[in-house]
Amino acid sequence: MANLEYPKVRRAGRWFDVRRRKLGMWAYALNRITGIGLVVYLYLHLAVLSLLLRGPRSWDSFVSLARAPYFLALDVILLAGILIHGLNGLRVTLTGFDVGVKAQKALFGVLMLVAVVALGAAALMIFGG
Amino acid sequence: MENPFAQEPRASSSWLWQVITGVGLVLLLGLHFIANHFIAKGGLRDFADVVAYLRSPIILVLEVLFLVVVATHAMLGMRALLLDFGLSERAERRLSQALTAVGVLTVGYGLWLTWVIIH
Repeated sequence: MANLEYPKVRRAGRWFDVRRRKLGMWAYALNRITGIGLVVYLYLHLAVLSLLLRGPRSWDSFVSLARAPYFLALDVILLAGILIHGLNGLRVTLTGFDVGVKAQKALFGVLMLVAVVALGAAALMIFGG
Repeated sequence: MENPFAQEPRASSSWLWQVITGVGLVLLLGLHFIANHFIAKGGLRDFADVVAYLRSPIILVLEVLFLVVVATHAMLGMRALLLDFGLSERAERRLSQALTAVGVLTVGYGLWLTWVIIH
């Protein structure tokens, strides 16, 4: 039974293997990987927010911990995922409506550059604030 | 000339909702992130500040809307990913039902959490 299912699983996971693939497949895989990461984060976030149910002491001690530099670095990783997924999603939306289809490669490059610049600015604000 | 992005699949029936919620998220997630991590002192609100924040009617509406939109977008995204397994029509229907249930539970939990916090 497991052997019968294997090719299906392998086929479904093909997008994950970007070796020797073109830029379009990298963009597609990047969108999915960041998407999965953000879904995992959504539930982690809801779990952390449940600390609010335990009252001020639990929440405020978590806040003190979350202001530590290593925790702020996690915020930067989260923001990177949001920017990559959001801007790449914008490209997918535009091309889905037949806008800029021929310029997709350049569009992807520009949007990822915007993501890097925005992430750099946000990181300065996060660590500077 | 070969399109380097040609390997990407084309739109599915749920794609439009994915786009609508995605566009909504740009605004709502942006507001959520700025309000809770950039405006808040030290990057996070303390308990009293969270309660005061959520008691603002406008903020409450925006945060609840954000919760609904993000859960919908997440479930549609997971559905698109899982459909790659080449499911039968019946399995696809079950998957949609299961993800709808997870989405409703997620929103329900978020609403309950918000209700308890502001009361």
